[in-house]
Amino acid sequence: MTEALLSVENFTLARAGVAVLDDISLVLPRGRSLALIGESGAGKSTLAYAAMGLLRPPEVALRGRLQVGDADVASAPERRLRALRGARMGLIFQDATAALNPCFTVLQHLSEPLRRHRGLARTACRARALELLDGVGIADPERRLAAYPHELSGGMQQRVMIAIALACEPELLIADEPTSALDVTIQAQIMTLILARVRALGASVVFVLHDLALAVQVADEVAVMYAGQIVETGPAGEVLNTPAHPYTQGLRASAIEFGAQRLQPIAGVVPPLSAMPPGCRFAPRCPRASARCVQRPALTERGPRALACWHA
Amino acid sequence: MDVELAPADAPPSPPRLLRAWRRLRAQRKAVAGLAVVLAFVLAALAAPLLSPYAPTDQDFINAMQPPSAAHWLGTDSFGQDLYTRLLYGARSALWIGFASVAVGLAGGVALGLLAGLRGGRTEWLAMRVVDGLLAFPELIMAMAFMAIFGLGLSNVVYALGLSFVGPFARMVRADVLQVKQRPYVEAARLMGVPPRDIVMRHVLPNIASPILIQAGMRVSIAILLGSGLSFLGLGVVPPTPDWGLMIAEGRGFITMAPWISGIPGLALAILLVGLNLFAEGLRDALDPRTRQD
Amino acid sequence: MTRRLLGALGQTLLVLLVVSAVSFAFLKLAPGDPVALMLGSDYSRDSYDKLYAELGLGRPLPVQYADWLLRFVQGDWGMSYVSHQPIFEQAVLQALPVTLALAGLSLALALAVGIPLGVVAAVRRNSWIDMAASTLAVGGNAFPSFYLGVVLIWIFGVSLGWFPTMGFVAPWEDLGAGLWHLTLPAVTLGAWYVGLIATVTRSSLLEVLEQPYMMAARARGEPAWRVIWVHGMRNVLMPLVTVIGLQLGGMLRGAVMTEVVFTLPGLGMMITSAVQGREYIVVQAGIMITALLFIVVNFVVDQTYAILDPRLRKHGR
Repeated sequence: MTEALLSVENFTLARAGVAVLDDISLVLPRGRSLALIGESGAGKSTLAYAAMGLLRPPEVALRGRLQVGDADVASAPERRLRALRGARMGLIFQDATAALNPCFTVLQHLSEPLRRHRGLARTACRARALELLDGVGIADPERRLAAYPHELSGGMQQRVMIAIALACEPELLIADEPTSALDVTIQAQIMTLILARVRALGASVVFVLHDLALAVQVADEVAVMYAGQIVETGPAGEVLNTPAHPYTQGLRASAIEFGAQRLQPIAGVVPPLSAMPPGCRFAPRCPRASARCVQRPALTERGPRALACWHA
Repeated sequence: MDVELAPADAPPSPPRLLRAWRRLRAQRKAVAGLAVVLAFVLAALAAPLLSPYAPTDQDFINAMQPPSAAHWLGTDSFGQDLYTRLLYGARSALWIGFASVAVGLAGGVALGLLAGLRGGRTEWLAMRVVDGLLAFPELIMAMAFMAIFGLGLSNVVYALGLSFVGPFARMVRADVLQVKQRPYVEAARLMGVPPRDIVMRHVLPNIASPILIQAGMRVSIAILLGSGLSFLGLGVVPPTPDWGLMIAEGRGFITMAPWISGIPGLALAILLVGLNLFAEGLRDALDPRTRQD
Repeated sequence: MTRRLLGALGQTLLVLLVVSAVSFAFLKLAPGDPVALMLGSDYSRDSYDKLYAELGLGRPLPVQYADWLLRFVQGDWGMSYVSHQPIFEQAVLQALPVTLALAGLSLALALAVGIPLGVVAAVRRNSWIDMAASTLAVGGNAFPSFYLGVVLIWIFGVSLGWFPTMGFVAPWEDLGAGLWHLTLPAVTLGAWYVGLIATVTRSSLLEVLEQPYMMAARARGEPAWRVIWVHGMRNVLMPLVTVIGLQLGGMLRGAVMTEVVFTLPGLGMMITSAVQGREYIVVQAGIMITALLFIVVNFVVDQTYAILDPRLRKHGR
């Protein structure tokens, strides 16, 4: 059994007294890929940033365990986390244009983690940077090194982002909606690139996505989140083709497919953070809800899958 | 697809309450500033009623007295009552402030409109002239004007007004250019509305409020410059009561009678703060960013 | 890039021409008879005529203007009949360095205090430092420099005796004494700027802090101080330079007042005494050189934008 790279246990993140992430537990073994699915506001990106140790007291309150390798992000000192970030964990942002500093060249961006975590000198940095650019499929890397972010196309900016995230060969890569801001035609290219590079490194990857179909294609496992809680996990294909949780079923039904006759949205809206219902947060909108749902169902395992529902 | 919901992951946009609070605070700033300014205006207008002395009554026996019952704020080196001179000084300060801005506004709006509306060669030429004017710092230009035309209150007003024409012209032109591009102006033109009407009904009303706010902010600069000129001996003529002049007169006696310079300076600072607060508060309250509803 | 530079230079030259025309007009408009002023109180008809011809005062105005301009660019600015010195020497070699030293030190002081203040105010919002910074901004803008100068002289110069209250010692001749003499004036002039710089730094940094590239830098393992000072401040420089450039007029105005209050023999002092003494030719030289200074500095500031913000480089202005 492959050891777990990312291991989250009863992790809660609270902001201003409200639990944004409520008692999350999941496990990601080495070399596997996980997709976090959910609507906007479900807490997917928050979990991703928390895993990088970017959300810390005093802005937020943390409880539980969030282990990346042998470090507990929830309790480790900042210095330890800084050594991990960029070196053993890499983060790819959704909007590459905004995530690149307009005043610095591509080379300057790439050199930063190389100098900090690998201690490379100028020439070595440059050589490695060229390698990295080549590895993400950028033609004419020499010229691109001296370019500023605004001189590159959206797809190229995202490739640079990927190169930066992979610069120090991390064990864990987190990709927050890496293709949402890109043209459809480029999306497939970028996704393939990420998967290829990750596989080559033997790293684990967490995708934060809202596109179900995409999740099935790129991830081994899937964790469905709703309002800061995990409602269902399991192998991607199984969960998304035969969803067990009412929310996942609703998501699938509301996904627009060619040939479908009508749109089928899930009734209601996500309750605001300050007014979360007790117990199962999906209950108010759930077709199967009953009086039992005021008590939160635990995430119970059912073979390779796990489910948090009293009625499934 | 997925139902679009209020993002909780992204940093929350300022909730309604915060926006309303910001506006209120801005208005409180504006109100506080306005209160201060009004106090000065009232004091200036009611000066003869508020003091038994005349500002130029000299009384050498009682010169350089610290504040006392007879002279609430003391006397200066000529024995003139400081409290009275303070009140009358408010008159010249306020007059200089508003009148010079009015003059500058008139000239600047005319020039800016000409440049913005005509475009082409006229605009280019007008803007080069404006650039030339703007190259002279306002104080320097005012000093040069005083050198040519002599000292005195009205000359100060003209001098400062002239130095404001450049900045206003530039502002007006920029605003006019912006408004010119708006669809309703374009529509009016296409419908054959005569140019004069377009200016009066579409352009002017829309540039009025930003220009007026800018003009408001300029009043405090005008007062500052006016008292500065007097301080340098290039403004109003003694014995006219003027705060800048009073500060200059008190310089030589700073150790034995610090109130001669100290008090008018404080009054000036308070008035300027009040004006700035009012103008800033007004600008913040009208700022489109806080007005998202 | 050079095409843009040339274009900017061309425009600047035109502005300079307008400025020179205005200065010339000033001289012509000045009251009093220049010949009589130069000759003093007692002169004969002959010497008057001679000087009149010498000065070329009978010729048509455009000719006089061209002649004056030609001489001006060659450095022949005439003779001061008060100090009996060539005005060029007096203005450029003596007065200008003083003003530059004062302005330079004040700006340095204002930046050294204002930027850290603004950064701390942004990073720790609503703390007491934030309040202090905004109070400083409001107060610094309100107190006229001449008043502040007088107050500082009273407290630190006369009462406490820590600093000299007048006079100038060139820092390039004697650094210690020079700085000591310039301290109070620089604080006076800088005070006005400090609040402004702190405010601009604070508000731009607040905007920058929300940008994803800041989080991205942290995600790469950069320490917080580096994220703020290297990644953040780099993007704050541009609005900061903009504001400093816009307020140059205010700085010059403050310099004039400060020089008079502290009796520093700079340009401001020169122009003021010349106006008081009705020495128009010196006044004219003074306004020309201030305008020139202004234009040059604005030009430099404009060019700095392109260096600071790479997004401006390719597309010109």
